[in-house]
Amino acid sequence: MRRYVARRIAALVATLVFVSALVFVVVRVLPGDPASIMLGTEGSPEALARLRDAMGLNRPLPVQYAEWMGGALRGDLGRSLQYDVPVGALIVSRLPVTLPLALLAALFMAAAALPLGVYAATHHRRAGDYAAMILSQVGISVPQFWSGLLLILFFSVHLGWVRSGGFEGWSSGVGPALRSLLLPAIALGLFQAAVLVRATRSAVLDVLREDYVRTARAKGLGEARVVGVHTFRNALIPVVTVAGIQLGQLMAGAIVLESVFALPGLGRLALGAISARDLPVVQGVALFVASSIVVINFAVDLAYGVLDPRIRYE
Amino acid sequence: MNRRIVVAMLCAVLLLAGAGGETPAQSPGRLIVQSQTEPPGLDMTATPATATSGIVFYNVQESLVKVDRHGKLVPSLAERWHTADNRNYTFFLKKGVRFHNGREMKAADVKYCFERALNPETKHPYAKDYEAIGDIIVKDDYTVTFALKTVNANFLQNVARAGASIYPRETVDTMKSHPVGTGPFRFEEWVRGDRVVLVKNGDYHVKGLPKLERVTFRFVTDPNAVLAALKAGDVDASLFGLGPEHVQDLQKDARFQVITGDTTNDVILAMNNSRKPYGDVRVRRAMTYGVNKADVLKGAMFGMGKILGTNVDPLNPYYVDLSKAMPYDPARAKKLLAEAGYPNGFDTVLKVSPQYDYTVRSGQVVADSLKKIGVNVKIEQIEWGQWIARVFREADYDLTIIGHAEAWDIKNYANAKYYYRYDSAKFQDLFNKSEVTVDDKARREIYVDMQKLLVEDAPVVWLFMHPRLAVTKKGLQGLWKDLPASANDLSEVSWAPAK
Repeated sequence: MRRYVARRIAALVATLVFVSALVFVVVRVLPGDPASIMLGTEGSPEALARLRDAMGLNRPLPVQYAEWMGGALRGDLGRSLQYDVPVGALIVSRLPVTLPLALLAALFMAAAALPLGVYAATHHRRAGDYAAMILSQVGISVPQFWSGLLLILFFSVHLGWVRSGGFEGWSSGVGPALRSLLLPAIALGLFQAAVLVRATRSAVLDVLREDYVRTARAKGLGEARVVGVHTFRNALIPVVTVAGIQLGQLMAGAIVLESVFALPGLGRLALGAISARDLPVVQGVALFVASSIVVINFAVDLAYGVLDPRIRYE
Repeated sequence: MNRRIVVAMLCAVLLLAGAGGETPAQSPGRLIVQSQTEPPGLDMTATPATATSGIVFYNVQESLVKVDRHGKLVPSLAERWHTADNRNYTFFLKKGVRFHNGREMKAADVKYCFERALNPETKHPYAKDYEAIGDIIVKDDYTVTFALKTVNANFLQNVARAGASIYPRETVDTMKSHPVGTGPFRFEEWVRGDRVVLVKNGDYHVKGLPKLERVTFRFVTDPNAVLAALKAGDVDASLFGLGPEHVQDLQKDARFQVITGDTTNDVILAMNNSRKPYGDVRVRRAMTYGVNKADVLKGAMFGMGKILGTNVDPLNPYYVDLSKAMPYDPARAKKLLAEAGYPNGFDTVLKVSPQYDYTVRSGQVVADSLKKIGVNVKIEQIEWGQWIARVFREADYDLTIIGHAEAWDIKNYANAKYYYRYDSAKFQDLFNKSEVTVDDKARREIYVDMQKLLVEDAPVVWLFMHPRLAVTKKGLQGLWKDLPASANDLSEVSWAPAK
């Protein structure tokens, strides 16, 4: 187990170095530098040169990378070119929006997809199964920003139950904060739930065909116990694998939905930073998201052992 | 069954969250304004971003002189000014004006702010506007004289700009996140990514103003989200960012009022004068004759806005209506192209940035129009950062469409390095003369000559003036109709008393 964890940590470091180098190079080869975007159509060439110099953009790339990496290793991700505040603080300030959003979306995804997937599998090729599959197809086909807008139209504009966007902050109370996050979480979770329904259905179907399920039924066990105890847990490995990948995708989905719902989260920070070529912020966010995904995958691997004690980590 | 449980759970959570209770957006004394872009910082001496001046200028910080809602220069922090020779300007400051930190504003503050703008170390974005200043002499606490090195006909205009705001020196280091000034509103908080909140300055130097107690600028970028926020009542007003396609819909809605007015934003089809075939004035004129501007206005702006014939915008006192000087005439355009050696037209690329939707839409109509004279336009959409780098900085383009919002920007045509690459000694001479001509009548004549010369030389095709399109809830009053300055003055804005 120890060797396994050490290997995973080495993989984590390698992934982060690779991701950081890739992001570092990609954002710099894109045409348009932060200084000229900041000055817009107003700055003179002299003002541009002064600003580039002040931002340290005139130094060679490897020097900039080495400096940034050195800082990152000490926990200093640099300063935002746009806001002139530490990148680390900026990321941390956006987490109270993005993390609960992703968590709510994940809860919604699991709460909607698992029962529906099991239901579809246990009603294989019957009306319920087809209905669930059509629902899932619709969920996959509808783009997230579109479902977000539809939810806003219905729940905010038409019914007036929740805000159409924005985030008051947790200091204004849990109720209002949750209310701001609810619609985006549903929109975000909807697509992922639609995918997870299919994974759950096919995993449960596979297990339902196993000999031990037939034996359980032959012993006269009720269907609820057959599905709930003997089938579901054994079907969870592929489901957890897909769900793990989806947790990572929730972060990416947040970029679009935070714009639609005007939420001050990590996604919107990243989007704004990319258009403003706020390089340290783009790098910082990319590094953070990459680390989160690696950590989630690690957690998924550990979950395998819990779900199926036969799995060993050597 | 499971689905029913899920739906029931969802509804329960929605109701629970709904029970939180929240102040509706429209309440007396409070205003929630949608802002399209979050400012990169709130220090107007550090960034030229209109997102910054749109919040801070006139509301939090003010200049000695102000451009009012009619485009006129009026007193602000200076109650009057005087010049005998157009070289020495003396400003007499209003007495008893206090900064939001409680300290009285004095002539020494004015001197400090301008000297700081002129100091290259501070990287002031508009330092060039003030380089004519030779000396700043504080005569007493309320009198300050600017001695200019050369005559500068734009001096008062420049003193009225956002870059010339007066602030207390003790707050310089924190202005980026906490601006302090003399304006009708005090800065309260900036929740990054979400909003900037301003509150009433009870000690404002204009009695009876401001009328609002609290103003919140909420950052909502997506136009559909803006529309939803307005309809759901989450914001009271959208001052910029909604396109004509949204406004049409809201005009029919009895809950809203749509304010349309003039702006200084000239939308142009720029041609790279240093590139073939646009170096030939006959081709440029053919392009002007070949674009059906009425169709562009109809197709891109639903008919809102004004057709332009030259660079000066309708809010400028020297504006001359030359919109009919080169009317749509495809036959003439073809003839000119043939004379220039392009009887069958040519292929060209139009680069536009979808960041500004109207540029893409205008491009589609322009391309369609030019096809009729044999000019095949390929539209290439590029991201805003790339537009700035490739088109604006490097002039790596054939054609582009963009709006130039800066007032008094005819100076760009006198700059041969500007991305139009228009290099006319005659125009440059005229412009230089206009800069040192202070007599209003004489200056107007030069401006008329400049506008006519531009029509002749056709360095770009002036398409239309982008209209002001603001949408507010019914009952909001006092907003500016036209936008002669890059600011959203909210000092006189209030809610009409309920009937």
